[in-house]
Amino acid sequence: MSSTISNRIYDYLKDFPPFNLLSREALEAVVQGVNLQYRQPDEVIFRQGDEPLPFIYMVKEGAVNLIREEQDLTGVIEQCDEGDLFGLRPLLANEPYALTAKVVEESLVYAISIENIQQLLEDHPKVAFFMAKNFAGNARVSASESFKGKIFLDNDHLIDARFRLVEIQSLDKSKAPVTCAEDMSIEAAAKIMAQQNVGSIIVVNDDFFPLGIITDKDLRRKIATGLVDRSQNVRAIMSSPVITAPAGVTVADVQIKMIKNNIHHICLTADGTPDSKVVGVLSEHDLLVIQANNPAVLIRSANRARTGAHLREIRDRAEELLRKYLYQEVAISFISDIMTEINDALIRRSIELALAQMEEEGYHKPQQDFCWLAMGSEGREEQLLRTDQDNALIYEDVAEGDEDMVKSYYLKLSEKITHLLNECGFEYCPGDMMASNPNWCMSFSDWKAQFSTWMGAPSPKAVMMTTIFFDYRPIYGKESLATDLTAHIFEAISEQEVFLGFLAKDALKNPPPLTFFRNIMVERSGEHKNEFDIKGRAMMPLADAARVLILSKKVGQVNNTFKRFEKLAELEPKNSELYEQAADAYEILMRYRALQGLKHSDSGRYFKPSELSKMERINLRNSFQPISELQSLLNMRFQLAYFS
Amino acid sequence: MSWFFKSWSSNKKNREYPAFWREYLARFDQKIPKNTPIEEVRFVVFDTETTGLNVKEDQILSIGAVEVIGSNIAIQNSFERFVHQSFTPIASNIEIHEILPDAASESQSEEAAIKDFLEYIGNSVLVGHHVGFDVAIVNQSLQSMGTFKLKNKSLDTGLLAKRVQVPPYPDKYALDDLCDQYGIEQHDRHNAAGDAYLTAILFLKLLGRLRKRGVQTYGELMKGM
Repeated sequence: MSSTISNRIYDYLKDFPPFNLLSREALEAVVQGVNLQYRQPDEVIFRQGDEPLPFIYMVKEGAVNLIREEQDLTGVIEQCDEGDLFGLRPLLANEPYALTAKVVEESLVYAISIENIQQLLEDHPKVAFFMAKNFAGNARVSASESFKGKIFLDNDHLIDARFRLVEIQSLDKSKAPVTCAEDMSIEAAAKIMAQQNVGSIIVVNDDFFPLGIITDKDLRRKIATGLVDRSQNVRAIMSSPVITAPAGVTVADVQIKMIKNNIHHICLTADGTPDSKVVGVLSEHDLLVIQANNPAVLIRSANRARTGAHLREIRDRAEELLRKYLYQEVAISFISDIMTEINDALIRRSIELALAQMEEEGYHKPQQDFCWLAMGSEGREEQLLRTDQDNALIYEDVAEGDEDMVKSYYLKLSEKITHLLNECGFEYCPGDMMASNPNWCMSFSDWKAQFSTWMGAPSPKAVMMTTIFFDYRPIYGKESLATDLTAHIFEAISEQEVFLGFLAKDALKNPPPLTFFRNIMVERSGEHKNEFDIKGRAMMPLADAARVLILSKKVGQVNNTFKRFEKLAELEPKNSELYEQAADAYEILMRYRALQGLKHSDSGRYFKPSELSKMERINLRNSFQPISELQSLLNMRFQLAYFS
Repeated sequence: MSWFFKSWSSNKKNREYPAFWREYLARFDQKIPKNTPIEEVRFVVFDTETTGLNVKEDQILSIGAVEVIGSNIAIQNSFERFVHQSFTPIASNIEIHEILPDAASESQSEEAAIKDFLEYIGNSVLVGHHVGFDVAIVNQSLQSMGTFKLKNKSLDTGLLAKRVQVPPYPDKYALDDLCDQYGIEQHDRHNAAGDAYLTAILFLKLLGRLRKRGVQTYGELMKGM
């Protein structure tokens, strides 16, 4: 091999992520597997559905489009130019390509052998993170200016993902167009419409370019009224010219076009003008259908639901949305925001329905107001799949004597709420940590007293209770009850610094789940023998560490584990790298858990490591690294060595 | 009688030539068929750096080459050799090439470098910018080693560029000019491997244009060259 040429490649790659993260020797090994390829316009490097090639690609010069092909429609998802990586799928999973890579202009691309990269992933967790995150968030890895030197995605990319989503939604749903030739009679065209059961037909010329459109409305107004004879040519009644849009159009664009032109159908053509082939048609009705699984629509239907079964149906639809998001590799922070909004809406609606039932059954709402708290993963805004309920209720203090009456009302109410939530698919908590339990449905003063007890004499059980409680979030009712309780807790913490030590110690109870030989540790016995407990072994240690650290900074309001780490990175710049890695690790864990859950129709908590692809296993293993670093940080900071 | 003479003479040939040359010749037992698609032909794009431009007097300082198969350059299969020459080269050339006789620590004897080069090229089609000079200087070296000239077909990217051009023809066909014209970033100029790499990229771009005009086979490519 020529050292002059390999140095040339080395000098080029070293400026682009993730190669900028590598040591000289590691990058030199990558260079050994590089091929420079010349590609001509319209050449396909790989096609959607093709088996993975043993390379990933980087554009050296020119441009390559990543295209999603759906039935007759194609849409450009992204364009890659100099320094952009693409075709990462073979690294992540041995699955066919999800997109087609087609050359736009004369290009030189580096095809980098997977074999040389795979070893890197094992040795360089940062590179694995980079690859996985970028693969997850984006179809390509951008080398744009804002990105250089950084290894983590920022919010700009999140917004990208949202736009992409809209585009794909429109592509999914537009139907194959129903067309007729320009020399047909109106009667023949109407027969085709009836046969195909459609409300519109596009009149096309020999080249399949759109000339006009005939809709049900034209048939009603011009034929049924006798204005035009049905034996006449279609040209007699068609509306022309047709309003067109390109195949990759967004829902928003279509809506604007319809309003502007006062029409109900948009014809999609190959290049978006009437002088290219018809590829689809979108009606106003199609738009409504597309938006039916839109989060806003789901939330609106949740607000109108009447029964537990109806709530469940909405949550099932939300699961479909989740599945779509996960497969489209949308950023987890965006997905969890959406799912939390939907969950919250379902909980609020359950409470409203339960309050109405109480009223109907003749129970009178006491004058003392209440606040419903979500706890556990829902409290942390990270519940993607339905898990067990964790909730509590606080009501305003009651004058002596009335206590029993008020408490029994709220217990009864809670019983109805938890029942509705159970119908919705959030199962009863096996540990009975629910507002229907008298210990979890108390007045404000009782809660304060309870916390003081837990924190004053921390027992393992008390510590566990508080960990659940520190992740609470008010969902419904008088929010000040929750914020006042938070204020009380922070006050108590500052008086009882030692308590944080107990929490920190608790956060160390699960060491990083690696065996001596760096294999992933599976359960040794019980129902889930030989399965990996992703929640208990990997997610909880991170969530626990995030909680105690954020409490020590006296920051309330931030409940979400990866947002807590992001906040910590901001507050402690010297440890920001570790915190950012931990945030990334948590997102990856959430994604894998949700995918496993969808695959097995369960909570996704337990699975066999062998079910993961090699890349996923490596990522999972790499996500344990921040656990061990965080735990040593906790050990130092809270001087846990002296803790008995 | 004539068949006897033929076989006797080839036996003699085999006995007298050094082993490396016999091995090299053996690679030419079969010609590349004219209808071979261009993508299947192995091209070796190469360049030499020399002490000067006089084929008879000047000598090789380094050889660099890359292999092009089907629009692909595998970096791992690139070639580079520095030659140790015992005399002091002319100062003016050192300035251009920046190779001092002893500066290239990995340098070897000219004979070893040429042997390696023959093994590397095999029966591939040689490509170079103004390749005639580079072939001649290698031949000169081969002659001093007691063998004959290179048997490989060769292609000059300068001539290829002229063939690709449409009128009005530019009057400059130096590597620098063509790199500018085809948007090829110049690095490591006047280094054999660096120039070979640039020439290979130029070659790929020229091939792309010829293919668009319907040049598909080896035979069509070599026609009139």
